[in-house]
Amino acid sequence: MTSQMMINQGIKHSPILPIGPKPSQYGIDPALVKKRVAELPGMCSLQLSELFPELPPVLFPGGSGALERLYEVAMEELRKVDMSFIQPNHSVNLLASHHGFTLLGGQPYAILLKATREAILEKTGCKNIRLRAGVGMRFRETEEYIKRYGLEECFGQGKTKGVAPIDEGIAIETEVGTLYGIKSVYDADWIVHCHHTDVREVHFHRQVDKAVKPFGMSYARIETRSTYHQNLGPRAANFTARAIFESEFVQNKFAFASFLNVGPHGVIGVDADNDLYAVNDRATFIGCQLYGKVMTLFGKIGECIAVLDFPCPVPYVFSAGVIYANFAGANQDLYDMEGTPLPPYTWYTEAFYKKDGTPLLGEIPPLNPAIKMCVHNYAWTGYPSAFFSDHIPTVVVGQEQSDLFDMEPMNIEYMSHSVVAKTTESAMDFAYKVTGTDKVIIFDGAMGGLNCSQSLADLLIAKAPEVSEEVEKVLMPKWFRQRGVDMSILETLSHR
Amino acid sequence: MKRVTILAKVDPNICTGCKICEKVCPVYAVKVSDRKSQVSEPDCRGCANCADRCPVHAITMVKRAEPFTVGVDVSRFDPGEIKELCAKAHFNPEQVLCYCVSVRAEEVAAAILEGCDTPDKISSRTGIRTGCSIECIQPILRLLAAAGIPLKPDLNGWQWYGQTVTAWTLPQEVKNKYGSRGFYFEEDKALLEQIAAIDPAQ
Ligand code: SF4
Ligand code: SF4
Repeated sequence: MTSQMMINQGIKHSPILPIGPKPSQYGIDPALVKKRVAELPGMCSLQLSELFPELPPVLFPGGSGALERLYEVAMEELRKVDMSFIQPNHSVNLLASHHGFTLLGGQPYAILLKATREAILEKTGCKNIRLRAGVGMRFRETEEYIKRYGLEECFGQGKTKGVAPIDEGIAIETEVGTLYGIKSVYDADWIVHCHHTDVREVHFHRQVDKAVKPFGMSYARIETRSTYHQNLGPRAANFTARAIFESEFVQNKFAFASFLNVGPHGVIGVDADNDLYAVNDRATFIGCQLYGKVMTLFGKIGECIAVLDFPCPVPYVFSAGVIYANFAGANQDLYDMEGTPLPPYTWYTEAFYKKDGTPLLGEIPPLNPAIKMCVHNYAWTGYPSAFFSDHIPTVVVGQEQSDLFDMEPMNIEYMSHSVVAKTTESAMDFAYKVTGTDKVIIFDGAMGGLNCSQSLADLLIAKAPEVSEEVEKVLMPKWFRQRGVDMSILETLSHR
Repeated sequence: MKRVTILAKVDPNICTGCKICEKVCPVYAVKVSDRKSQVSEPDCRGCANCADRCPVHAITMVKRAEPFTVGVDVSRFDPGEIKELCAKAHFNPEQVLCYCVSVRAEEVAAAILEGCDTPDKISSRTGIRTGCSIECIQPILRLLAAAGIPLKPDLNGWQWYGQTVTAWTLPQEVKNKYGSRGFYFEEDKALLEQIAAIDPAQ
């Protein structure tokens, strides 16, 4: 054994327990998920804090008592926020989004929501505190989370509501004309924006105004969301959110922001502030540092089998804090506004493929050619995903999962491009044989790191140090310049 | 074009007649009369909006016994007219407008040329906006407006409220104010124009 192999052995661990399957109308019955790919022979895990030792320490995952500690930290941070304008007879809407509940098992975000409610009650005496939880395209999703995390018990009967972009709307006058929000999001004297700093959809927001995005998305009506995804272009889209947030209507109701401060490796803390743009700067620029390295590292993978094994729709399954949609674009630098005008996957790109299956513009990059095959062991419906199975050879495990996709309005054609395997083992055998690679990356939400095959782990260990340097010295200065700042901004921003 | 494979089914014993399903159906295929909701089976395009917003879970989606396909045959129309209408709305005829069922700009343009003059008629005819029902409302409104058809939202429903800003109507002062924050307004407009101008046959 060479010394490098010995070092690698020390960094490679046994697989991390994947996030369990969850009962949901969007996924198959959890009892049908017989095997997780991380359990198969030849798999191991890497801890992100070992790949990138400069990552800050996390509160969660952190052994027993970590969630209780998170609640205390949240209360400490929230007590510092000015809430003096909230009177006991006022009403307050805590605004939440589905994404938060997909992070690290969902409990940390639920705890942030509970702590935010408690802090408002404690500081202002206001009791009329409601939860309005927005969604992406799965209109019942946050209703499921409200039940799962006991939020109705916490907020009180009738005080929680899952809201959807087709619900009754409200016109909002903005600097760019009328846009539309969901009426019940704004049906209180005050709103509190409860979100997180997780990077998630870099292909959409391009790490510009990331913290503001829900105002143009999960709190918004279809007209606004369609503006984002169809009217402005791939690098201007997220302005829709700022336009709404800047409106007099929203400014008059905005109380403060309460954010779970997360990295790809866990919950770092809580960031609560009356100034959303202060949170936004921290989320944007520290976020480039935290997530930029994993994203760039994933771009160094030359060939692999990608496994989907997480209770979320196809593009949103996680590995090391990176969603599959972004791994499908990891052949390009998604943070580079000038080098990557159109990411390999984003809706604007998807729109620009012709009837013959070729892109309208020669420069449009293909979906990550490193993904030789996708093994869909367990992932949900509820997001148009046929583009992925059309462009990446896909094996779906189990007829039940195939049938579920066939019955779902957004995925009528997903199975037209996929094949079905009876078991997880047979799907993986097929993928190994057809692709000839033994490198496997598993998107199963493993907390603190990622599950993968031994051979892929060796590659990631070898590449991590050079990636770290490339991101710090070459890429971040470019990313920051493109966003109107320089690296010195990091000195003025501190981790909360 | 869409394969319509599923259908909304109401359980009248659960329905309370609240009319929410009526307000969210993009093709007006569900109506409440005598405090009970009823789905017109041939008209339902299987988007599941009604099922997913019914507050008492009275609606479920079921497999159709006889699936069918809706769509407009673009070849029946003058390609020049299709191209002109798409160009007016700043779309390439072959660009996809509906990510769920892959309806392209040319098919929506053809539906308009055929006589569809509202978003619901276009959805019914082509299947657009009967997947997620969210993301393609603005392109439909843009193409109708480009055809000179007045847009009249239904004041009793929540199907859609109105047209919004585009890359071509963004005020210059807004671009100046926020352009240095990482938004690439002008560059994106140029990119969308470049796409719209491409001849797909080339
Ligand atoms: S939404 Fe549900 S309860 Fe209301 S009218 Fe429709 S089917 Fe009946
Ligand atoms: S088209 Fe959609 S909303 Fe209308 S009846 Fe059918 S499933 Fe329900």
